[in-house]
Amino acid sequence: MHIEQLTYENYRNYAKTDLTFDHNVNVIIGENAQGKTNLLEAIYVLAMTKSHRTAKDKELIRWEEPFAKIQGQIKKRTGPLHLEVVFSSQGKKVKLNRLEQERISQYIGALNIVMFAPEDLRLVKGSPKERRRFIDMEMGQISPIYLYHLSQYHKILKQRNRLLKDAYSKSFDDAMLDVLTAQLIPEAAQVIRKRYDFLNKLQVWANDIHEQISRGLEHLKIEYVPSAEVSNSMNLSTLEEKLQEQFNSVIDQEKRRATTLVGPHRDDLRFIVNDKNVQTYGSQGQQRTVALSLKLAEIELIHEQVKEYPILLLDDVLSELDDHRQSHLLSTIQGKVQTFVTTTSVDGIDHKTLNEAELFRVENGEVVKKK
Amino acid sequence: MQYPEPISKLIEGFMRLPGIGPKTAARLAFYVLDMKEEDVFDFGKALVNAKRELTHCSICQHITDTDPCRICEDQTRDRSVICVVQDSKDVIAMEKMQEFRGQYHVLHGAISPVDGIGPEDIHIPDLIKRLQDETVQELIVATNPNIEGEATAMYISRLVKPTGIKVSRIAHGLPVGGDLEYADEVTLSKAIEGRQEL
Repeated sequence: MHIEQLTYENYRNYAKTDLTFDHNVNVIIGENAQGKTNLLEAIYVLAMTKSHRTAKDKELIRWEEPFAKIQGQIKKRTGPLHLEVVFSSQGKKVKLNRLEQERISQYIGALNIVMFAPEDLRLVKGSPKERRRFIDMEMGQISPIYLYHLSQYHKILKQRNRLLKDAYSKSFDDAMLDVLTAQLIPEAAQVIRKRYDFLNKLQVWANDIHEQISRGLEHLKIEYVPSAEVSNSMNLSTLEEKLQEQFNSVIDQEKRRATTLVGPHRDDLRFIVNDKNVQTYGSQGQQRTVALSLKLAEIELIHEQVKEYPILLLDDVLSELDDHRQSHLLSTIQGKVQTFVTTTSVDGIDHKTLNEAELFRVENGEVVKKK
Repeated sequence: MQYPEPISKLIEGFMRLPGIGPKTAARLAFYVLDMKEEDVFDFGKALVNAKRELTHCSICQHITDTDPCRICEDQTRDRSVICVVQDSKDVIAMEKMQEFRGQYHVLHGAISPVDGIGPEDIHIPDLIKRLQDETVQELIVATNPNIEGEATAMYISRLVKPTGIKVSRIAHGLPVGGDLEYADEVTLSKAIEGRQEL
């Protein structure tokens, strides 16, 4: 898929910006703090209806303006598609081909993106929360059903945690806790099962790419680390049984700690390179290669699932990669993946992909096409 | 701009209603000014009367101007089935269907720990009391198909099942007369889950 036109209004510090893209690779150059990332963020928001940098939608609206609006004209395999996201004090609205969508889950997935930013280099080393966020974001784009189960899961989880806070009050009702546990388990099983399925597929691509980048020296394995005693081979009903057993055994502990201790919200990922856990034993270079392999695998996986390449957003990562990884990345996107790259300079990078790219310069929030 | 006080009071009054913002409230208020005095008077009386004369039925908790309500009083209705709903509006919706001839029980809410609403805060204890005499043989739980509604349904079912009374849940899936292609993925997957043999 291709973004042909991007317009934003009252977004961040911009009154109005209107950009057309007719090249595959678009390089956005500018000094620090000029608004390069804002441009990538706008594309990200258009796809995901939220920012990767802030949880507060309000920050996206220009100071003292009533709303922020981002629109994109997309060319897909199936035809043209117009996307629109509006943020205002009443919340957000999303439109596909100018028709308002009632559910965000019906909108997400219309535009597929893969973002690679400096913080993704921490995917391996960072907290479990970052790895869960990675898997949820990527799966949400290709599976609206996953997004649905995940949001149901979190809603029930919130109710259950609230109830557990009163576990020692007089009015506490054990039957109510049982009901919420029974409600939580099928959603938890769905989320876990779908994560396993996704990782099984991602694993194949990621290992392939990882072997290429490491010139065949390293093999990558992705492991799901569940908080409950479940495994990849279990079907939904076995997962549910196992979760029920687990909940039965931790119930007293849950009451004491006033929170839910088992379930996908406490699961994690582990990356194994040549039989060693990269998180503990890997070098920084290895950790970066894993992050890069995962992102490139995502591109291929989305292509496999939706039969089209996603848009790739590279935020300031070129300079973070060594020449070899850089050139691997650039060769992968060459001619097939529409890419937006931000960087402070393109000096010293001599690659066909970049030489054919269109350059944009950002200065004080103004974006200008460079000849 | 400053409105004269009687108008601004009227506008404030309208703004307390759901779905009405300042602009709509102002439009309604100015419309009231142009209405005939007797119409305004009737309207005001209707508002006050609705509030004063309607209570909750002491049996089913449905809004009513007689106690017990007309549905509970109706001797031709089936007393062995009770349909449990969240809201009085749901009773009206079910009655429009003209197919259900049993009794109702209105909970006036759903269980939601986050909002501080437990089983005692909605009319579940009253429901359990109603089941004690032996006429009731089936409960149809028609709470909303969202998380709170489902939790409420499950809670009621756990409480009532041991008494031997049949508890059923209304089905969810595709709307009748709709096209399959317009259904969202989640509704479709629910419809597949609840499929029935032909």
